[in-house]
Amino acid sequence: MNDETESNDTVAIKIPKEIYDKISDRIKDTDFSSVDEYIKYVLQEVLSDDESEDEEVLSEEDEEKVKERLRSLGYLD
Amino acid sequence: MNLEKDTNYIISGLERSGTSMLMQMINNAGILTSFDDSRKPDTNNPKGYFELEGGKIINRLMEKNFPFDEHKGKFIKITCYGLKFLPTGKYKIIYSERNIEEILDSMERMAKIKDDARDETREIFLKLNNIIKKQIKSRDDIEVLFINYNDILKNPFENINKIIDFLEIPKNLEEEMIKVVDPSLYRQRR
Repeated sequence: MNDETESNDTVAIKIPKEIYDKISDRIKDTDFSSVDEYIKYVLQEVLSDDESEDEEVLSEEDEEKVKERLRSLGYLD
Repeated sequence: MNLEKDTNYIISGLERSGTSMLMQMINNAGILTSFDDSRKPDTNNPKGYFELEGGKIINRLMEKNFPFDEHKGKFIKITCYGLKFLPTGKYKIIYSERNIEEILDSMERMAKIKDDARDETREIFLKLNNIIKKQIKSRDDIEVLFINYNDILKNPFENINKIIDFLEIPKNLEEEMIKVVDPSLYRQRR
Protein backbone atom coordinates (compact mmCIF):
# COMPACT_ATOMS: atom_id res chain seq x y z
CA MET A 1 0.00 0.00 0.00
CA ASN A 2 1.17 3.48 -0.75
CA ASP A 3 0.64 6.33 1.57
CA GLU A 4 0.87 10.00 1.05
CA THR A 5 1.15 12.87 3.43
CA GLU A 6 -2.20 14.56 4.02
CA SER A 7 -1.31 16.91 6.86
CA ASN A 8 1.20 17.13 9.68
CA ASP A 9 -0.97 14.85 11.85
CA THR A 10 -2.56 12.38 9.46
CA VAL A 11 -1.73 10.48 6.31
CA ALA A 12 -3.98 8.93 3.68
CA ILE A 13 -3.66 5.17 3.18
CA LYS A 14 -5.17 3.26 0.28
CA ILE A 15 -7.09 0.06 0.92
CA PRO A 16 -8.99 -2.17 -1.53
CA LYS A 17 -12.53 -0.95 -2.14
CA GLU A 18 -13.85 -4.40 -1.26
CA ILE A 19 -12.48 -4.04 2.27
CA TYR A 20 -13.77 -0.49 2.51
CA ASP A 21 -17.26 -1.68 1.55
CA LYS A 22 -17.16 -4.53 4.06
CA ILE A 23 -16.19 -2.10 6.82
CA SER A 24 -18.95 0.29 5.75
CA ASP A 25 -21.46 -2.52 6.19
CA ARG A 26 -19.96 -3.60 9.48
CA ILE A 27 -20.14 -0.18 11.15
CA LYS A 28 -23.82 0.36 10.37
CA ASP A 29 -25.74 0.66 13.66
CA THR A 30 -22.53 1.01 15.66
CA ASP A 31 -20.93 4.01 17.34
CA PHE A 32 -18.32 4.26 14.59
CA SER A 33 -19.13 7.32 12.52
CA SER A 34 -16.82 6.52 9.62
CA VAL A 35 -14.63 3.86 8.08
CA ASP A 36 -11.60 5.97 8.99
CA GLU A 37 -12.61 5.90 12.64
CA TYR A 38 -13.08 2.12 12.59
CA ILE A 39 -9.72 1.46 10.92
CA LYS A 40 -7.98 3.77 13.36
CA TYR A 41 -9.58 1.92 16.29
CA VAL A 42 -8.61 -1.53 14.96
CA LEU A 43 -5.02 -0.50 14.29
CA GLN A 44 -4.69 1.05 17.73
CA GLU A 45 -5.93 -2.21 19.25
CA VAL A 46 -3.42 -4.25 17.24
CA LEU A 47 -0.56 -1.95 18.18
CA SER A 48 -1.66 -1.96 21.80
CA ASP A 49 -1.64 -5.79 21.81
CA ASP A 50 1.84 -5.81 20.33
CA GLU A 51 3.06 -3.38 22.94
CA SER A 52 1.51 -5.40 25.74
CA GLU A 53 3.46 -8.43 24.52
CA ASP A 54 6.62 -6.65 25.63
CA GLU A 55 7.76 -7.69 29.06
CA GLU A 56 6.10 -5.52 31.66
CA VAL A 57 6.73 -5.69 35.36
CA LEU A 58 5.23 -3.93 38.33
CA SER A 59 7.92 -2.31 40.42
CA GLU A 60 7.63 -2.50 44.21
CA GLU A 61 6.50 1.11 44.14
CA ASP A 62 3.82 0.32 41.52
CA GLU A 63 2.63 -2.64 43.53
CA GLU A 64 2.38 -0.55 46.67
CA LYS A 65 0.29 1.97 44.79
CA VAL A 66 -2.03 -0.82 43.60
CA LYS A 67 -2.38 -2.10 47.17
CA GLU A 68 -3.04 1.39 48.48
CA ARG A 69 -5.84 1.85 45.94
CA LEU A 70 -7.30 -1.60 46.73
CA ARG A 71 -7.30 -0.76 50.44
CA SER A 72 -9.13 2.48 49.73
CA LEU A 73 -11.75 0.48 47.80
CA GLY A 74 -12.09 -2.14 50.52
CA TYR A 75 -10.51 -4.99 48.56
CA LEU A 76 -7.49 -5.46 50.80
CA ASP A 77 -6.74 -5.18 54.52
CA MET B 1 -27.60 -25.12 36.49
CA ASN B 2 -24.55 -27.22 37.29
CA LEU B 3 -21.08 -26.51 36.03
CA GLU B 4 -18.11 -28.88 35.96
CA LYS B 5 -17.48 -29.94 39.55
CA ASP B 6 -13.71 -30.14 39.19
CA THR B 7 -13.34 -26.56 38.02
CA ASN B 8 -13.18 -23.23 39.82
CA TYR B 9 -15.06 -20.56 37.92
CA ILE B 10 -13.95 -16.96 38.35
CA ILE B 11 -15.25 -13.56 37.34
CA SER B 12 -12.34 -11.14 37.24
CA GLY B 13 -11.06 -7.86 35.89
CA LEU B 14 -9.75 -4.64 37.34
CA GLU B 15 -11.81 -3.35 40.22
CA ARG B 16 -14.81 -1.35 38.92
CA SER B 17 -14.68 -3.05 35.52
CA GLY B 18 -18.15 -4.60 35.68
CA THR B 19 -17.33 -7.76 37.63
CA SER B 20 -20.36 -7.39 39.93
CA MET B 21 -22.70 -7.11 36.95
CA LEU B 22 -21.21 -10.26 35.44
CA MET B 23 -21.62 -12.12 38.76
CA GLN B 24 -25.21 -10.96 38.88
CA MET B 25 -25.83 -12.15 35.31
CA ILE B 26 -24.44 -15.58 36.15
CA ASN B 27 -26.44 -15.75 39.37
CA ASN B 28 -29.63 -14.62 37.63
CA ALA B 29 -29.26 -17.46 35.14
CA GLY B 30 -29.38 -19.94 38.00
CA ILE B 31 -25.71 -20.86 37.65
CA LEU B 32 -24.12 -21.67 41.00
CA THR B 33 -22.26 -18.74 42.53
CA SER B 34 -20.54 -18.22 45.87
CA PHE B 35 -20.89 -14.88 47.60
CA ASP B 36 -21.96 -13.55 50.95
CA ASP B 37 -23.53 -10.34 52.20
CA SER B 38 -20.50 -9.04 54.05
CA ARG B 39 -20.42 -5.97 51.82
CA LYS B 40 -23.93 -4.59 51.46
CA PRO B 41 -25.25 -2.94 48.31
CA ASP B 42 -24.57 0.78 48.26
CA THR B 43 -24.65 3.67 45.82
CA ASN B 44 -21.53 2.37 44.10
CA ASN B 45 -23.06 -1.08 43.52
CA PRO B 46 -26.80 -0.71 44.11
CA LYS B 47 -27.47 -4.31 43.09
CA GLY B 48 -24.76 -5.72 45.34
CA TYR B 49 -21.13 -6.72 45.15
CA PHE B 50 -21.52 -10.52 44.83
CA GLU B 51 -18.27 -10.99 46.74
CA LEU B 52 -16.90 -13.32 49.36
CA GLU B 53 -15.52 -11.91 52.60
CA GLY B 54 -16.35 -8.35 51.70
CA GLY B 55 -14.15 -8.55 48.63
CA LYS B 56 -11.07 -9.15 50.75
CA ILE B 57 -10.29 -12.64 49.51
CA ILE B 58 -7.14 -11.20 47.98
CA ASN B 59 -5.70 -11.33 51.50
CA ARG B 60 -6.55 -15.04 51.71
CA LEU B 61 -4.98 -15.66 48.31
CA MET B 62 -1.80 -13.87 49.34
CA GLU B 63 -1.71 -15.99 52.49
CA LYS B 64 -2.34 -19.11 50.38
CA ASN B 65 -5.28 -20.23 52.51
CA PHE B 66 -8.32 -19.57 50.32
CA PRO B 67 -10.40 -22.79 50.20
CA PHE B 68 -10.79 -23.26 46.45
CA ASP B 69 -12.09 -26.83 46.91
CA GLU B 70 -15.19 -25.47 48.68
CA HIS B 71 -16.07 -23.39 45.65
CA LYS B 72 -15.52 -25.86 42.83
CA GLY B 73 -18.35 -25.91 40.31
CA LYS B 74 -19.37 -22.38 41.30
CA PHE B 75 -18.50 -18.86 40.24
CA ILE B 76 -16.61 -16.60 42.61
CA LYS B 77 -15.34 -13.07 42.10
CA ILE B 78 -11.61 -12.46 42.38
CA THR B 79 -10.52 -9.08 41.12
CA CYS B 80 -7.48 -8.66 38.90
CA TYR B 81 -4.68 -8.32 41.47
CA GLY B 82 -5.86 -11.48 43.26
CA LEU B 83 -5.23 -13.57 40.13
CA LYS B 84 -1.53 -12.97 40.65
CA PHE B 85 -1.75 -15.36 43.60
CA LEU B 86 -3.92 -18.04 41.98
CA PRO B 87 -2.54 -21.48 42.88
CA THR B 88 -2.29 -24.30 40.36
CA GLY B 89 -5.73 -25.78 39.72
CA LYS B 90 -8.36 -25.97 37.01
CA TYR B 91 -10.05 -22.68 36.23
CA LYS B 92 -12.44 -21.04 33.83
CA ILE B 93 -12.19 -17.26 34.04
CA ILE B 94 -14.40 -14.59 32.54
CA TYR B 95 -12.22 -11.49 32.56
CA SER B 96 -13.90 -8.12 32.18
CA GLU B 97 -12.28 -5.04 30.69
CA ARG B 98 -13.64 -1.51 30.63
CA ASN B 99 -12.61 1.93 29.47
CA ILE B 100 -9.79 2.83 31.87
CA GLU B 101 -11.03 6.39 32.37
CA GLU B 102 -14.40 5.05 33.51
CA ILE B 103 -12.64 2.65 35.87
CA LEU B 104 -10.58 5.46 37.38
CA ASP B 105 -13.65 7.71 37.67
CA SER B 106 -15.54 4.94 39.43
CA MET B 107 -12.64 4.13 41.76
CA GLU B 108 -12.30 7.78 42.77
CA ARG B 109 -16.01 8.03 43.39
CA MET B 110 -16.09 4.84 45.46
CA ALA B 111 -12.97 5.70 47.47
CA LYS B 112 -14.18 9.30 47.82
CA ILE B 113 -10.85 10.65 46.60
CA LYS B 114 -9.58 13.04 43.98
CA ASP B 115 -6.54 11.39 42.47
CA ASP B 116 -3.90 14.04 41.91
CA ALA B 117 -1.61 11.45 40.33
CA ARG B 118 -4.18 10.05 37.94
CA ASP B 119 -1.75 9.73 35.02
CA GLU B 120 0.51 7.56 37.14
CA THR B 121 -2.42 5.55 38.48
CA ARG B 122 -3.68 4.95 34.94
CA GLU B 123 -0.28 3.73 33.82
CA ILE B 124 0.07 1.37 36.78
CA PHE B 125 -3.40 -0.16 36.46
CA LEU B 126 -3.05 -0.59 32.70
CA LYS B 127 0.25 -2.30 33.34
CA LEU B 128 -1.31 -4.52 36.03
CA ASN B 129 -4.13 -5.40 33.62
CA ASN B 130 -1.68 -6.34 30.85
CA ILE B 131 0.52 -8.40 33.16
CA ILE B 132 -2.39 -10.37 34.62
CA LYS B 133 -3.95 -10.95 31.19
CA LYS B 134 -0.65 -12.25 29.90
CA GLN B 135 -0.24 -14.52 32.95
CA ILE B 136 -3.68 -16.08 32.71
CA LYS B 137 -3.44 -16.52 28.94
CA SER B 138 -0.17 -18.40 29.32
CA ARG B 139 -1.29 -20.85 32.03
CA ASP B 140 -2.29 -24.36 30.99
CA ASP B 141 -4.72 -24.71 33.91
CA ILE B 142 -6.79 -21.66 32.91
CA GLU B 143 -9.35 -21.19 30.16
CA VAL B 144 -10.24 -17.55 29.80
CA LEU B 145 -12.87 -15.47 28.04
CA PHE B 146 -12.08 -11.78 27.71
CA ILE B 147 -15.14 -9.61 27.60
CA ASN B 148 -15.67 -5.86 27.54
CA TYR B 149 -18.12 -4.15 29.89
CA ASN B 150 -18.72 -1.21 27.56
CA ASP B 151 -19.47 -3.60 24.72
CA ILE B 152 -21.82 -5.69 26.89
CA LEU B 153 -23.94 -2.60 27.41
CA LYS B 154 -23.93 -1.82 23.68
CA ASN B 155 -24.30 -5.39 22.40
CA PRO B 156 -25.68 -7.47 25.27
CA PHE B 157 -27.01 -10.41 23.24
CA GLU B 158 -23.76 -10.89 21.35
CA ASN B 159 -21.67 -10.82 24.51
CA ILE B 160 -24.00 -12.96 26.57
CA ASN B 161 -23.83 -15.58 23.85
CA LYS B 162 -20.04 -15.49 24.05
CA ILE B 163 -20.41 -16.35 27.75
CA ILE B 164 -22.96 -19.08 27.00
CA ASP B 165 -20.63 -20.64 24.43
CA PHE B 166 -17.64 -20.38 26.75
CA LEU B 167 -19.47 -22.10 29.61
CA GLU B 168 -21.25 -24.56 27.30
CA ILE B 169 -24.57 -23.85 28.97
CA PRO B 170 -28.06 -23.82 27.45
CA LYS B 171 -28.84 -20.89 25.18
CA ASN B 172 -32.20 -20.33 26.87
CA LEU B 173 -30.37 -18.88 29.90
CA GLU B 174 -29.77 -15.81 27.75
CA GLU B 175 -33.11 -14.30 28.73
CA GLU B 176 -32.37 -14.26 32.47
CA MET B 177 -28.86 -12.97 31.92
CA ILE B 178 -29.93 -10.08 29.74
CA LYS B 179 -32.37 -8.81 32.36
CA VAL B 180 -29.35 -7.81 34.44
CA VAL B 181 -27.85 -5.51 31.83
CA ASP B 182 -29.14 -2.23 33.09
CA PRO B 183 -27.95 0.82 31.16
CA SER B 184 -29.13 3.03 34.02
CA LEU B 185 -26.18 1.67 36.02
CA TYR B 186 -23.81 3.03 33.41
CA ARG B 187 -23.02 6.17 35.36
CA GLN B 188 -19.36 6.60 34.48
CA ARG B 189 -19.79 6.70 30.73
CA ARG B 190 -16.94 8.31 28.80
